This record gives sequence, C-alpha cells and structure tokens, in this order.
Amino acid sequence: MRRTTTRARLATLLTVVSACALAGCGAGGTTSAGDGPPSELRLAIGGESEEGFDPTLGWGRYGAPLFQSTLLTREPDLGVGLDLATAYEVSDDGLTWTVDLRRDASFTDGEPVTARDVAYTFNTAAEQGGLTDVTALERAVVVDDDTVELRLTEPRSTFVNRLISLGIVPEHAHDSGYAQDPVGSGPFALVDWQQGQQLVVERNEDYYGEKPAFERLVFVFTDEDASLAAARAGQVDVAAAPSTLATQEIAGMRVQAVTSLDNRGIAFPTVPEEGRRSPAGHPVGNDVTADLAVRRAVNLAVDREALVEGVLEGFGSPATGPVDGAPWHEPGSSIDDDDVDAATAELERAGWTDSDGDGVREKDGTTASFSLLYPADDSLRQGLALNVVDMVARAGIEIRPEGLGWDEIYQRMHTDAVLFGWGSHDPTEMYNLYHSSMAGTESFNPGYYANPAVDRHLDAAMAATDPDEADRHWRAAQLDDDGTGFTAGADAAWAWLVNLEHTYFVDDCLDLGPERIEPHGHGWPLTAGISRWRWEC
Amino acid sequence: MGVLNAPARRARGLAGRALRLASLVAAVAVGCFALMAGSPVDPVEAYVGADSAAVGPEQRAQIAERWGLDDPPVERFTAWAGNVLTGDLGTSQVFGQPVTTVIGERFAASVSLMALAWLISGVLGFTLGLLAGALRGRVADRVLTWWAYTLASAPTFWVGLLLLYVFSVSLQWTPVCCAAPIGTLPGEASLLDQLHHLLLPALTLSVVGISPVLLHTRQATIEVLASDHVAFARAQGERLPGLVLHRVARNAAGPALMLQFASVGELFGGSVLAEQVFTYPGLGEATTTAALRQDVPLLLGIALFTAVLVFVGNALGDLAHRAAAPRTREAVA
Repeated sequence: MRRTTTRARLATLLTVVSACALAGCGAGGTTSAGDGPPSELRLAIGGESEEGFDPTLGWGRYGAPLFQSTLLTREPDLGVGLDLATAYEVSDDGLTWTVDLRRDASFTDGEPVTARDVAYTFNTAAEQGGLTDVTALERAVVVDDDTVELRLTEPRSTFVNRLISLGIVPEHAHDSGYAQDPVGSGPFALVDWQQGQQLVVERNEDYYGEKPAFERLVFVFTDEDASLAAARAGQVDVAAAPSTLATQEIAGMRVQAVTSLDNRGIAFPTVPEEGRRSPAGHPVGNDVTADLAVRRAVNLAVDREALVEGVLEGFGSPATGPVDGAPWHEPGSSIDDDDVDAATAELERAGWTDSDGDGVREKDGTTASFSLLYPADDSLRQGLALNVVDMVARAGIEIRPEGLGWDEIYQRMHTDAVLFGWGSHDPTEMYNLYHSSMAGTESFNPGYYANPAVDRHLDAAMAATDPDEADRHWRAAQLDDDGTGFTAGADAAWAWLVNLEHTYFVDDCLDLGPERIEPHGHGWPLTAGISRWRWEC
Repeated sequence: MGVLNAPARRARGLAGRALRLASLVAAVAVGCFALMAGSPVDPVEAYVGADSAAVGPEQRAQIAERWGLDDPPVERFTAWAGNVLTGDLGTSQVFGQPVTTVIGERFAASVSLMALAWLISGVLGFTLGLLAGALRGRVADRVLTWWAYTLASAPTFWVGLLLLYVFSVSLQWTPVCCAAPIGTLPGEASLLDQLHHLLLPALTLSVVGISPVLLHTRQATIEVLASDHVAFARAQGERLPGLVLHRVARNAAGPALMLQFASVGELFGGSVLAEQVFTYPGLGEATTTAALRQDVPLLLGIALFTAVLVFVGNALGDLAHRAAAPRTREAVA
C-alpha cells in the first residue's frame, strides 16, 4: 500500500513539476521514493502550543510532551505506568510522595537527568502562572541523586496526574528562551518550529526508552479545511477531522474513530430561585430544574442512541456520567432512557400535570419550562440542544434553546440549564463539577449542586493514598450502595447525553498502536502513543 | 507665494503630518485599550480554554498575577503607555515572546504576501480599468465591469477556499498551505518554492483591491477620453492604443495610485482572512489568535503598528497622486 502511495505521490510530483514548468516555479522534493517505511511522518492534527514547549507553563499536559519525559506515564487503559520513575510511594498521611528515578536517562545536551532537575521542575511549575496546576505542592525536595520527595499541602490522590503530565526540564538549561528551544530527555528533539505553520522534530537517538519508528515528524498547523485539503492532496499521513466531515472518503486513507472521555451534557441549576447571588454577582437558582422529578424526567425522556446517530453521525456513544470508560467510572449508574412513560410517571408523582391542555405541565402555577443555553458557534451542541427539545417535549417539559456567546452563558449558568462539554484524564474534574465547595467557582458546579454524602465520597477519593481506593470512592460519588449519587438514577444533577469519538483520517499503512481513550480536545492527544506508531506496508 | 517659502512650507507640512500621526496613534491606543478592558471576555478563561476543569482557582490567580491583571485598568494603561514610549511594547501572552519580536517576525512573512497582492491588484486593476474605459460600452467593458462588481462582493475567505479547492486539491498545481513546502527547514526553501506558496494567497488577497482600482480607472479614462486635449489629439489622427498610452494613462493613474496606497488598511484586513485559509504564518494570522485569546499587549501592538502602516500608506498615496497629476499640486498648495 505504501508503494502505491509513493507512486501516487510521484505522479503528483510529476504533475506539479510539469505544471510548474509552465508556471515557472520549482517544486520541492516531497517524498523519498523507495520501499520500506518512510522516515518522515506528516501530521495535520492541530494542537500548536503558541507559548512554546515549556512543561512548567503547561506544555505536554495532554498528548506527548515529545521533547521531555515524565516521571510516570498513562497506559492506554488509563492505568499508571513508569517512565523516569522506577517506583513511587505515598506516605500514610498522603502528604509525601517519594519517587525513585532511573539513572540512565540524559538530556539531549548530554547532561544526566537527576533528582535536582525533577525537584526544580516541580517547584518552578508550582510558582508559574501557567496551564499546569501544581498548587497542591508545598515543596519538592532532593533526597539523594535518584530520589525526590514531593511534599503536598494536603492529601491529594489526583496529584499522580502531575507526575504523569509534567515533563522534566533541565535546571541548567531552563532559561527565558527555553520555550522556543527546549532541551529534554524525551523521544524526540526539536529541529525547527515555524510559528503558525509547522513543527519539525527528529528522533532522539540517545533516548533511554523504546525508540519511535520514524526518524522525523512534521506537524502542520492547518485549520480543518486546509487539513482535509492536505489529506486529499496526499500531503499528510494523518489529519484530524470533525465527525461531521469524517463520512467522506479519501483515497489511501481510512477513518479512525478514537474513543474519548470528551462528553456533552446538560448542567441543571439544582437550587430554587431565592434571590441568591454567586461570588461574581450573578443570580442563582431555577424553580423548575430545582425539582428532582424534572431533572430525572429529562434524563429518562432523552434518546441518547438517537443523538449519537443523528448528531454525531454514529461517532460516539450514549453517556451515563462525566467519566464513562475511565477506571473510576461506575457502570451501575447507567439508566434506560428513551422511556417517556417512566418520565411521565416521575412528573405525575411529583405533582406536575398539564391542566390547561397546552402540552406543557404545570405545578402550583409554575410551568415546566426552562432555557437551555449553548455556545452559538458550536454546531454540534446546537444539534444536541435542538434534538433534546423535541425528545423531552414528549413528556410535557418545554425546553427553550438559546445560542449565546460564552461570556453571556457564564453570567446565566446558575439560573439556566447549559450544554457543557468536559472530559479529563484527571478525576479532579469530577470533584470540581459536583463538590458543594466548588459551587459558583469559575464554571465548576454551575448548578450549585450539594449533597453531603457525595461530598464525603469526593473528599475521601481526594484523600486516598492508594489508586484503587481512590477509584472506589470516585465510583461511590456517582452512585453508592445506598443509591445516593449525582448520576441520573439518583440526584440527576446533570443530564449527560453523549461521549464523542474523535475522528482522524489515517494513511492505510499507518498503525497507531493500542487505542487510547482521549480527553476533551480533538487532535493533539492522539500523539500520546506516538512512540508505538508503526508503518505496516 | 512660491519659491522662497518652499522649504519652510515643506517643514511645516512635515511637522503637521508628524503631529497628526502622533495624535492618531494616541487615539488608537486609548480606544483599543478601552475596548479590550470593557470586553466581557475574561483573558484568563480564554487562556485556560479547554483545560478549564484541570486549572483551579489558585492557579488562575497565579496566571492573573503573572500578567498583571490584578491592577486597575488605568494603572495598567499608564504603565503600558510609559513602556511604549521607551520602545517596549510588552510581552505577548499567547506567544510568550516580546510583542516587537512577534510583530517583526510575522510582518516579515506578511510583507511579501501583501506586496505581491498589492502589485497584482494595482497592475491588473489599472490595466483592465484602462481597457474597460477605452472600450466603453462594448462587450469587453461590460464583462470587465460585471467581473469587478462580482469580485467586490465576494468574501475573501470564500474566494480563498474556492481557489484552494480548484488549484490545490483538484488540480494539485499549488500547495495547500504554508509559506514553504511541508517539512522544509528555513533556508532550505528556494525563492521559487516561496513564490509558488505565495501565489494563491496573494491572488486571493488581491481580489480585495482589484475592483475599486478597475472601476475608478475606468471612470477616469472615460473622463479623460472626453476631454478637449484628447479631442485635439484625435483630430491630429492619433488612434486608440496610442491615445490611451500617451494621453490617458498618466492622467488616469492619479486616482488609481491614491486608491492603491489608501487600500493598505483593507489589504491588512484581507490578509487576516487569506492567511487563515492558507495557514500562512503572517501578521494576519497572529491578529486572529491575539483577538480570540484576549492577548491585550499583542493586539494593542498590532493596532498601533497597523495605524502607522495605514497612515504611511495614505501619505504616500497623497504624494504619488500629486506626482502623477501635477495640476493637484497647485490646488493643494
């Protein structure tokens, strides 16, 4: 297959050359002809980090940091694996993480990776106002050449995600120009970065781990249309495409749909309107969605399968909660939906009846009607919102969809339902969305949801020192043995709708290795397994 | 009046222009800053973006502190303005580099694109305008006028996508993106390569400028052709091609040149779209990024830079117009 592609490219080259002879230009040599895997791979999957490649400012927080290596890695099934660390241990009080380091790793400038570099990286990241949140760290301390202690201000099981995502930088070379010219111990080294255009990297031949199969990678930072055009013209081997465009066919490429935690769901205000205001001064509460029966009825009435087929073109799955597919997901929290009878029964029991015969129920003078806000420029969320309107109308609930800008949504998110999208490898997100202490903080827990039992589970999960124990508590927060939890069958704080699949056009010859569950964000996360990509022709 | 006072008058004119430029720049700075300060978009939220849930309140406070967003707007503005007077435009929040570096690098890429587009639109617009004017009322004129109106109402990005689809995807004559072939390092791409990559974006961008020049030149040509001195030349036996070249071209060039120089602002606006379509890493693309991400220092820097650019363009337009059409020299003076 590779040969045909090469031949196709040669043909392309010939046409370009002949066209250029007329137009008077010189086409650059694009591909080396010949058998075997190509030495260079070209990817149009977006994800340019305009700020550069400094992990202490947030580079590498998802996907591969390419140039740096991390203490731990995330396995394809979202388990935790070792990288620079050979072992790690959390103290019983959860405050001290002791990490043993391998001794054979070195930076691309030849200097060894030591405990001092690790401590420096963590301490620097904790103080930097960047996109990696290491504020839980009190101090990273060097114990000896290959041991580091990370001391936290409070127990936090999710700190493991910083060990997974924070690339280690060399203390001796971490200066103001580092972000533009990174030095690290990762599988690749930077060759050239032309901002807004492309990033060229080459294999680090001294890398201590499994070496990638490709000598050189070129990331082209084209937008969706140009990426597809480049794929059609045979100029890239991988191109990210939105699911709505993934139904088309491109010769020599297949569509690969990757499961993700990227989800969409409706956040309900869960408290009645009582004149309260958020810390930012915005009103709080909605009398309709504060009624548990309404929230449950919406959850029961929507047909999630139909949303996946109709809006996502089949590239997705019905969502039960915010973390479907992760090790900390509670499978028992799923419900049978598309059940208008159950939704109706739920509403009738709570006293919502359609006394005036207009198709919308009322209770004590309140009509079962509320607004659903979605970002106006997001056609996917618009599609979901409009479909949900029809689905819940069957149960006698009226939803008024409104497309707005984010700034306006942030002002109204405590009084109206909002179609949000989340999805992270870090369960801290679940804590932020459902813990009562996060109500009104940024866009976390916008509905002011509060349940002491759920708070207890979330706190216990954060304080756990063992990953399995943490996962048990995370699952209990969704639905515990007493039937309490934030998911649809219990408090129904949200109506989760769908999980997306991220779609890519991939050269028929390219094997992307074991599938990895991607976080929110389509494109760059694909690089997480890039060292294991192989050419199969 | 006249010769003796000329140097003094010129000096006064220059000082006047400098004063106008300074007040323009100050007004642009204040206006832009007020707009951005009043914008409901939260820069920290825009920066955090998709990582919203992974970045907690404490970290957000750190980000705001790094950018100095905690200070009141007036204080931020005076601090910024003071730095600008010393030549320091601050650091771009998105790119993490000095604003002057970002603008310098991006403009270097944009300037060839804008210059080529400017030349294409000028030369094409003027020649076709002359042609249409000379052939007034004939089929060629009608086709050209129709074409000019179509171009004037076609959105740049749409023309760009159309050209991209036809020439890059279907025919594969031109590259789909970027300023150089994918995977080449700086310095590796030949001049021809660069021109090849410049062609389609420049063609797209030139669409912005062709129509006004064409239509105005056509009008000017018609007027000149109807004037007495052309009638005199006709009477002496001069025929159309020569008539247009010798009698009309220079007179019609005045409005064309003035429009051409005055269009620098529109050219910049168009480059924002054209660069986006072709992933051309110029100033236009940086502007989009800065605006979407609320990068105040960079956006202000770009606003100031373009204000100066447009001002210079207009000033050159005045000069060129006067040089081309000597009669206006006296009128203005």
